[in-house]
Amino acid sequence: MNTHELPMIIFTLLGQLSVGAFVILGAVRLFASRRYGKDVVAGFTDPALYAIGPALVLGLAASTLHMHDVSNTLNVFRHLGSSWLSREIVFSVTFGGLGLLLAAAQWFKWGSTRLRHALAAFTALVGLGLVYSMSMIYYSLPTVLAWHTWVTPVQFFTTTFLLGALAVGSAFAVTVMWRSRGAVKAGAELDDNRAGELLTTCLRGIGLSAIMLLGVEFIIIPLHISNLSAAGGVAAESARVFSGVWFISRLVLVFLGAGLLAVFLFRYASARANPRVLAGLVSTAFALVLAAELIGRSQFYASMIRIGI
Amino acid sequence: MTEQLGFYFDQTLCNGCKACSVACKDKNDLKVGVTWRRVAEYSGGTWQQDGDTYVPNVFTYYTSMACNHCEDPICVRVCPTTAMTRGADGIVTVDAGKCVGCRYCEWACPYSAPQFNSETGHMSKCDMCADYRAEGQDPACVAACPARALDWGPIKELRAKHGDLAAVEPLPDPSITRPHLVITPHRDAQPTGTGTGALANPKEL
Repeated sequence: MNTHELPMIIFTLLGQLSVGAFVILGAVRLFASRRYGKDVVAGFTDPALYAIGPALVLGLAASTLHMHDVSNTLNVFRHLGSSWLSREIVFSVTFGGLGLLLAAAQWFKWGSTRLRHALAAFTALVGLGLVYSMSMIYYSLPTVLAWHTWVTPVQFFTTTFLLGALAVGSAFAVTVMWRSRGAVKAGAELDDNRAGELLTTCLRGIGLSAIMLLGVEFIIIPLHISNLSAAGGVAAESARVFSGVWFISRLVLVFLGAGLLAVFLFRYASARANPRVLAGLVSTAFALVLAAELIGRSQFYASMIRIGI
Repeated sequence: MTEQLGFYFDQTLCNGCKACSVACKDKNDLKVGVTWRRVAEYSGGTWQQDGDTYVPNVFTYYTSMACNHCEDPICVRVCPTTAMTRGADGIVTVDAGKCVGCRYCEWACPYSAPQFNSETGHMSKCDMCADYRAEGQDPACVAACPARALDWGPIKELRAKHGDLAAVEPLPDPSITRPHLVITPHRDAQPTGTGTGALANPKEL
């Protein structure tokens, strides 16, 4: 497994997870508010929103380890006209800044709801711009055949929504579990039938999307390998990276994650389900898929074999 | 307009002694692991049937390679800090005062021209011995070549004199960066992209 690029592996995965979680949270709030009321939905989704910030900050901190002279860090904004790396950094910082502003606005109830929605929508767009610019850093190198393919942006966006969905699902389940535990301790009656229904509806949607996205991975991975192998030369050398124990482990983890989600969807995701079981299932699926994506991203960097000398 | 400079390499004369590489290393005081000019050994071959006999039909040749000071330098394009720039004379240089050491240019360049110096945390590269040229001398690699296989000068003049071939295996398609390089090919030189041979010394490059 390639660990030389560990700062980039951590940064790209956490960055994508943050954007995916943000976009999916936005979608949940948008659709669930109509049915369950915005206060119930906000109480349910706010903890997840506040958790995105630290994830992104951790990713950005890891990315600075990739720079060997941090005293020149501010120079990275200089080449917006042609460098995707400059653009990516601007998108990261803007996404982080807007996310912070949104979290503060949500916490202190600044501005009208409509204004906060507009800010959230704009932040989501900037986040999607971040994932696109991240993928372009690699796609725009015609000298690295394993990266200069449509698979790079498709894989990055798949990872974004996959990790985002599962992170949000885990956060929801854990939130509900903690709340129900708190309610039992306080001796209060669990009135959360609606919260339970909201949780299971969201988790069903999230589980289904995650299974579909895992399916996308099972299509693009073999396509990528066969395209590279068919091209021959250095491309075929890159293809050989996608083999061996780590590659098999990645596929097995993805498969187990998807399987666990399927079991959960068809057997446990009901309004009366025990929140602890739901939280356990979704979090385990998230951990499995995160481990698979870590291996996948590490192999993505290991497949960097350049043409020429 | 200032004349655009480039390198000329006569592959028919190169015997792979690597004096160019060592002269560059010495003149620029490059640490172990940083080698701005390198010599690639490319070999391959097939079996040829001659009546009832199969005879080996093999080739091997050398390519001395440093920065080609490309017309469309991918290192300059991708550099986020603008540390990598192309001067009026076409020479591509890196400004250590701006470089953040992200190594993106190293991923991008198909000639391995920008190289990372772990002692300084910055990228480093060939500037065609700007100091020597200012004093009217040849770049160290050109001056050191015992076979006179290397030369430098205005790329227009080099092309007028030697043609416009800028790539043979194992060099990349020149349309990617448009290198300021002219090659007189070895008689066995393989066209770029054919992949008929293999690098014999990949760890040196």
